[in-house]
Amino acid sequence: MSTILVVDDEYVIADILGYALEDAGYKVEKAPNGKTALDVLEKVRIDLVITDYMMPIMNGEELAKAIRSNAQFADLPVILMSGAQASIGKAIPDLFSAVFDKPFDTASMVARVRAFIGVAEAGRDTPELQ
Amino acid sequence: MEQLKRLATGIEGLDDLLKGGLVAGSSYIVQGRPGSGKTILANQLAFNHVATGGRVLVATLLSESHERLFQYLSTLSFFDPALVGNQLQFVSAFDTLESEGLEAVVKLLRGEIGRQGASLLIVDGLLNARSRAENVLDTKKFISELQGHAAFAGCTLLLLTSSRLDDGSPEHTMVDGVIELGEDLYGARSVRRIQLRKTRGSGALSGVHECEITEQGLKVYPRLEALYSHPSSPGSEVLTRVGTGLASLDDLLGGGFPSASVSLAMGPSGIGKTSLGLSFLAGATVAEPGLHFGFYETPQRLRIKAKAIGIDLPALEKSGAVHLAWQPTTEGLLDGVGARLLSHVRKHRIKRVLIDSLGAFARLATNQGRLNEFFRALMGELRAEDVTVLATWEMRDLFGSEINAPASELSSIVDNLFLMRFVELDAELKRLLSILKVRDSEYDPALLELVIRSTGIELDKAFVQASAVMSGTASSAQGA
Repeated sequence: MSTILVVDDEYVIADILGYALEDAGYKVEKAPNGKTALDVLEKVRIDLVITDYMMPIMNGEELAKAIRSNAQFADLPVILMSGAQASIGKAIPDLFSAVFDKPFDTASMVARVRAFIGVAEAGRDTPELQ
Repeated sequence: MEQLKRLATGIEGLDDLLKGGLVAGSSYIVQGRPGSGKTILANQLAFNHVATGGRVLVATLLSESHERLFQYLSTLSFFDPALVGNQLQFVSAFDTLESEGLEAVVKLLRGEIGRQGASLLIVDGLLNARSRAENVLDTKKFISELQGHAAFAGCTLLLLTSSRLDDGSPEHTMVDGVIELGEDLYGARSVRRIQLRKTRGSGALSGVHECEITEQGLKVYPRLEALYSHPSSPGSEVLTRVGTGLASLDDLLGGGFPSASVSLAMGPSGIGKTSLGLSFLAGATVAEPGLHFGFYETPQRLRIKAKAIGIDLPALEKSGAVHLAWQPTTEGLLDGVGARLLSHVRKHRIKRVLIDSLGAFARLATNQGRLNEFFRALMGELRAEDVTVLATWEMRDLFGSEINAPASELSSIVDNLFLMRFVELDAELKRLLSILKVRDSEYDPALLELVIRSTGIELDKAFVQASAVMSGTASSAQGA
């Protein structure tokens, strides 16, 4: 089962997106900032990261840079979701595989995730995905 | 005496209340019910602070998302999304508060102040900190630690809360200042208010002041009597005369209105108060311009009215000798309108003003009890600018022997008082003008007939042969 790491200091957003991804059959890990996200990456095998930009301790750009600088995660897709800073993310396509403007439609986010890592096995039989 | 370093809020009027701004490095609570304008105040301050080179950290203890906040702020002119994420950081500490508690929040914010290099820290949702605290001591400790870290970093702290904390609450006792926002209903009209409930180490303007929220954000209108408790300048020492615009009236007054004096023309509707005022304004020059500060006639109506008595108002406006400022009565707050009058006067170096009418001005007040102080401060400030004022006051009764003075307190504010009445004499309706009072000057007490002609107003000593003129029903003295 593919695991997605959702990084956002705003727990409501992390929760809502997490539920949507779980409904689609993915396993979800959460982290409230970039630094905790790196800790999670050390311990858990992650297939895709969705991160906010503006966060305490370590922001989304710093997190993406740390991920890219680690050869182990060279191919790990990182999606940025941000309102005010989406343009910053779009300006550095090397760091982010995709950029979503907040607020976004969770269905389109799930669709994009699927495009990156394929349909989650557990989600194959769920009616809304057919 | 030491001068405290100030962090200007850049919010119109608020810096006047705070005597220059927040005390830099101090901590403040901003409290008020949801919708009272706390968030706007804080964010407006944040963006203004960034504009002056500051860096801001906004941390929320609430679960509400920042995106919703940005959507809502985007309708306000000060919001600039390009600054968000750079000079202005928004972070959520809700999760930390929930899962790790107050101490972890303090630790997180301490780190973020340093990381952001913040000179202003705004923490929203103080009530959640209190809910998370196990006892009063915890709340105190939380605030005191935040204060400590902020002060150490030279950072000013703003704590926002939607609860109405009372003066004895631990939060209030700890901070340096408390700013309360609210809203009151007057009939169907809702008026926002702001009050500095506590200001440590600064001579802030206490009491309640009115404010409003527009597309530009929050605007505060300090109570004029508080702002100008002393006139900002002593005014001229030389008493000169300012022409009334009517030669015959100048004669009676010994050359005109005393300069920098306030005159009130009282009379019923249609008696010619505005016409008298327009004649006064027509005497304005480019070097000493005049201002029509009116509440009733629109500029268009006023130009027609002026034309009917032979005054070319558009020409005076074009030359810059006369400025028109129309105030729709239904709009505006008393102090805001007063401030607007003063701002016109200062901007155009106005030397004569017609306020038409003082009664309409007074109707803007939500508290009639402070009108005397308000007008005293306003007129004092106009005197300080060497402005000669003529104001009108509409009396209710068209006829009758009873004459009701405007609120007795108002009489004490004006230097010169003129009464205008309709008088029936020899089967004709005449307009009467009489001088009731001129401060510190001699005057001719004759009763004058005011005749409005297409060439202008004329004043004649028409009642020399009549008696009981002031009663409204005069009788010819010859026939008696």
